[in-house]
Amino acid sequence: MAAYIEANSNDVAEEKKQFIAVKLTSEVYGIDIGYVDTIVRMQKITRVPKAQSYFKGVINLRGEIVPVMSIRLKMGFADDVFTNASRIIILKIEDQGKLGVIVDEVKEVVNLGEGEIDKPSHDTKENKHSFINGIGKNGEDLISLFDINALTEEN
Amino acid sequence: MDVSQYLEIFIDETSEHIQSLSDNIMALESDPENKDVVNEIFRAAHSLKGMAGTMGFKRMQHMTHDMENVFQEVRNDTIKVDSNMIDLLFQCLDAIEGYLAIIKETSDEGTNDNEAIIRQLNGFLQSAESASASNSAASAPASAAPAEEASEEEEKKFLTLELDAKDKKKLQDEFLTGKPIYGMTVYICNDCLLKAARAFLVFKAVEEFAEILVYEPSSQDIEDEKFENDFSIFFTTDEALDKVVAAAKAVSEIRDVTAEVITEKFLDESGAEASPVEEKSVQEAPAVPAETTPVKPAASAASNAAVPKKQAGKPVTSRTVRVDIEKLDALMNQVSELIIAKNSLVSLSSNSGAGAQNQSFQEQIEYLERITTGLHESVMKVRMVPIESVVNKFPRMIRDLSRNLNKKMELIMSGEETELDRTVVDQIGDPLQHLLRNSADHGLESAALRKERGKPETGTITLKAFQEGNNVIIEVGDDGNGIDTEAVKQKAIDRGIITAEQAENLSQKEIIDFLFMPSFSMAKKITDISGRGVGLDVVKSNIEALGGDVEVKSVYGEGSIFTVRLPLTLAIIQALMVIIGDEKYAIALGSIVSIEDIPITDIKYVEAKEVINMRGTVIPIIRLNQLLDIAPPEEEQESLTIVIISKGEKQVGLVVDDLMGQQEIVIKSLGSFIDNSTKIISGATILGDGEVALILDVNTLM
Repeated sequence: MAAYIEANSNDVAEEKKQFIAVKLTSEVYGIDIGYVDTIVRMQKITRVPKAQSYFKGVINLRGEIVPVMSIRLKMGFADDVFTNASRIIILKIEDQGKLGVIVDEVKEVVNLGEGEIDKPSHDTKENKHSFINGIGKNGEDLISLFDINALTEEN
Repeated sequence: MDVSQYLEIFIDETSEHIQSLSDNIMALESDPENKDVVNEIFRAAHSLKGMAGTMGFKRMQHMTHDMENVFQEVRNDTIKVDSNMIDLLFQCLDAIEGYLAIIKETSDEGTNDNEAIIRQLNGFLQSAESASASNSAASAPASAAPAEEASEEEEKKFLTLELDAKDKKKLQDEFLTGKPIYGMTVYICNDCLLKAARAFLVFKAVEEFAEILVYEPSSQDIEDEKFENDFSIFFTTDEALDKVVAAAKAVSEIRDVTAEVITEKFLDESGAEASPVEEKSVQEAPAVPAETTPVKPAASAASNAAVPKKQAGKPVTSRTVRVDIEKLDALMNQVSELIIAKNSLVSLSSNSGAGAQNQSFQEQIEYLERITTGLHESVMKVRMVPIESVVNKFPRMIRDLSRNLNKKMELIMSGEETELDRTVVDQIGDPLQHLLRNSADHGLESAALRKERGKPETGTITLKAFQEGNNVIIEVGDDGNGIDTEAVKQKAIDRGIITAEQAENLSQKEIIDFLFMPSFSMAKKITDISGRGVGLDVVKSNIEALGGDVEVKSVYGEGSIFTVRLPLTLAIIQALMVIIGDEKYAIALGSIVSIEDIPITDIKYVEAKEVINMRGTVIPIIRLNQLLDIAPPEEEQESLTIVIISKGEKQVGLVVDDLMGQQEIVIKSLGSFIDNSTKIISGATILGDGEVALILDVNTLM
């Protein structure tokens, strides 16, 4: 118990960053919690004609119109399959307002310290790597951390 | 004295006075002899001076004070208004506007003294005074006489003051140090309400330059306003007397200030006659007898200023309230919320079956609908302001352009009273200014060319505003060169935008549209073939950002008309809800002409495009499902539901699958993430059941 508390206080001293771990295809990704406004269940998305292909449309978030983007399509994966576990994570981007992104499943909130985050390897030139700005080590699991700015920017 | 709480009012009122000055100086230019206009200008300058003084903006006050003096002379017919003076007055206005701009940002007037302008103003004054002295030597003293008589006893009151022994001793001691001692008497306007405050400001002003030794009456009496309209100060200073007097005079509602050096003789026999060594005043004029000058202009200025204020036939008391625009925005948002809530009630009531027990519920819903619609209209009206506030700076701009470009031109404006949402009005200024500049600079030809073409030498630029349905139209036109479409076409070919063959098939409109392309206008600017097209892309994007659009009509050699179309309101509109496939869209009711049921056999083809013949008019039709990438209905119908929309004279029919009915909708932005470069969708709205429907911008479909 004492050891646990000590570890915990170390966490604070080390200023761990919190991430929301989400599942997309078979991989786990992390979204910096600082960007997350709220998480909502899948709901009817109104398609916007002529929009970018990776935009699913807009939703009504408590009276506010929020655009919803498919991370899968943006990263070049197969299209989303909506299930009961599907969620829309509403991100708050400075100066640009809110943006929803679709994930297959929200798993948990993880705390990662500086030492637990590695720089991503840039040896592959695959498109999806440009959306990742770190690899987090959550115990045995590896979490790819999204570069939110890269994710929300136009290609 | 804390005046910051008045700053907003000051800014508002100053803007109004500047506008009034600008209008009147323009009027004066066309009719230099008009005394009413001169009086109006004098009044505005005087009010500005007073306000600036109260707020402690000395530089601004100084400038308006000198303007006022010049106009005083104009009123007295000692100065004639000429174009030099008009130019100078406009420079003054610009300078005052400059102060105001700085005040808006920093609550301080900045440090620009605008000395050059003030020197020129005083130049006018001096020429006037020497003129009045020489050619009306006989009449001047006569007219000045009453004022002189009245002021004789007032003047230099400090010389006759009975100082008590202590004060006298103090002055004598100070005198022995060899420093010059000055006496000063300050006269406050008779109708001044806050004498103590004014006195306090004078003391403060004087203290900046001088050391005050003795004053009369006592500070307690001054504080309690236990004094007539004057008080006297004895002080010592290293600065020039002029400066101190000017500082004291700079305080508003001060009628006059007299001051001079105190002699030993005065100190010896205080109260008895003393001969002034030197007399000074701000408005000294060497040619005029020294004693009359300080009092005459200021005193008459004060009385003249007081009288017109009462006489002025301006609005009696306007029953208005100034409201912060943010509060209106908040109100509008709440009304929007209310309408969304009402819409969901409406959809609930229509879904829950029409039983007999629902009868009164339905009635109440309808009642609620009427109230919310009325509420929305009221809020909208509150937000509406006439475009006047934006366009009334244009005559001045055209005048300046006329000078700079050395072309004769006049601006004819109509419909300034047309109202638009405040947010639109705030942002429409720049695009309109751009269009007007464009007309003046590139539209109107040189005088020689105009003569050759048989046009009057003075070019005409028009600005016409009016309401049309849910839109406000602002037309900026000129009778100038028009757009040389051939030159534009050639330019487009040169720049590789189109091929020569393509160019052959372009309509005039399509060619003119090139001018609105960003890079295109830059190239035009450099080569300057026909001149048109500088920054028009900016105009277009600004206007589109407001939900409007801009069109051009032009006849080469005869002129051009730019038509700016703006939505009346940005927030809530009446719309027709339509269904296409399984999607719902809103079309603004204001642009709908009619809804038609057309048998499929009535559809004809012109140039491989579908059209219908509606009572003799051929109208092209657009299949919205194709446009919006929606799968067409599986079975071919026998007739089509077509919504006829119009923009100006043009009409287009939109094919929809079904109609949902009319609804009041709250327009919400799609945000900046979604690419909406086609602009087909102007926004989104939330329906009664919480679903999102998109709003079609029909203007882009034409």
